[in-house]
Amino acid sequence: MRCGRARRWMAAALDDELSVRRRHALDRHLARCAACRDEMAVSGRLAEALARLPMTAEVPAAVEQATLRRVRMLAADEGERAPWLRVFVPALATAGIVVLAVLGTLRLPSGRPEARSGTSQTAAARRSEKPVAVAEAGRTARPARRGRPPGPPPALAAAPELFVDLPLLHNMEKLEHFDAIRMTTLDDDTSGDARQSNG
Amino acid sequence: MRRLVLVASLGLALGGASAARGQSRAWDQLTPEEQWKAWQNYQRYQQLPEPKRRLLDQRFEQFRALPPAEQQRLRQRYEEYQRFDPAQRQRFEEKYRRWKAGRH
Repeated sequence: MRCGRARRWMAAALDDELSVRRRHALDRHLARCAACRDEMAVSGRLAEALARLPMTAEVPAAVEQATLRRVRMLAADEGERAPWLRVFVPALATAGIVVLAVLGTLRLPSGRPEARSGTSQTAAARRSEKPVAVAEAGRTARPARRGRPPGPPPALAAAPELFVDLPLLHNMEKLEHFDAIRMTTLDDDTSGDARQSNG
Repeated sequence: MRRLVLVASLGLALGGASAARGQSRAWDQLTPEEQWKAWQNYQRYQQLPEPKRRLLDQRFEQFRALPPAEQQRLRQRYEEYQRFDPAQRQRFEEKYRRWKAGRH
């Protein structure tokens, strides 16, 4: 396998999305390619860091109100300004809100946004209606998630936990015999206590 | 369509059995993150060949039949497996292949 293909497969591997055959091919490549091994390690650490980020974050009400107030003030002056500002100012304000939201996310502790403070009715309503998705908790880049996904099709609704646990089920045989597999010796094993086990 | 009915029947059967044990959660009881995860996995499942789907259905049935402590143990092992670095994972996969060959 070439490094280019290996790197394309790394994200899928980190998500346990590679087929067993491809995973083995990738592992073989990683075993002999130090550069890709390093890349995989870095990607793994990055994915772990991303996974610890909250999925959504809300802009504090005070910041949002202050920003909107500023926009209204600018809009009031708009008549005296050049026509291009009518487009530029709202765009700038929107960009400002997005930047504030990103900065807010970086300061927020990880965890579900619903669990954080915010007691006013307005804030609660805003939270439930349209949380601002600013950070993705997935291990690789995915489309932004807002709130809950659409209603499930019948098969998914009938057994939702089957699909939540699907990656685990993929690897169930390995997990059931985890210790026995770890105790299995390879040709280059030198430890005396490891042995072939069929447990 | 037949597949859909099969999966839905299996889900309903398993859901009923698990509900009797008070462990199954309905779609609305999942967190938003779990719902997204389930959606993504459902889409992957739809793309799998039929034998692989049947195998996963069987494994789900086995998993649901396990006592909660055993389910938890498997989840912990899966988390440990996910934390393997590439070298550890490769070694584990090699051991798995050897272990499996030794079984048959």
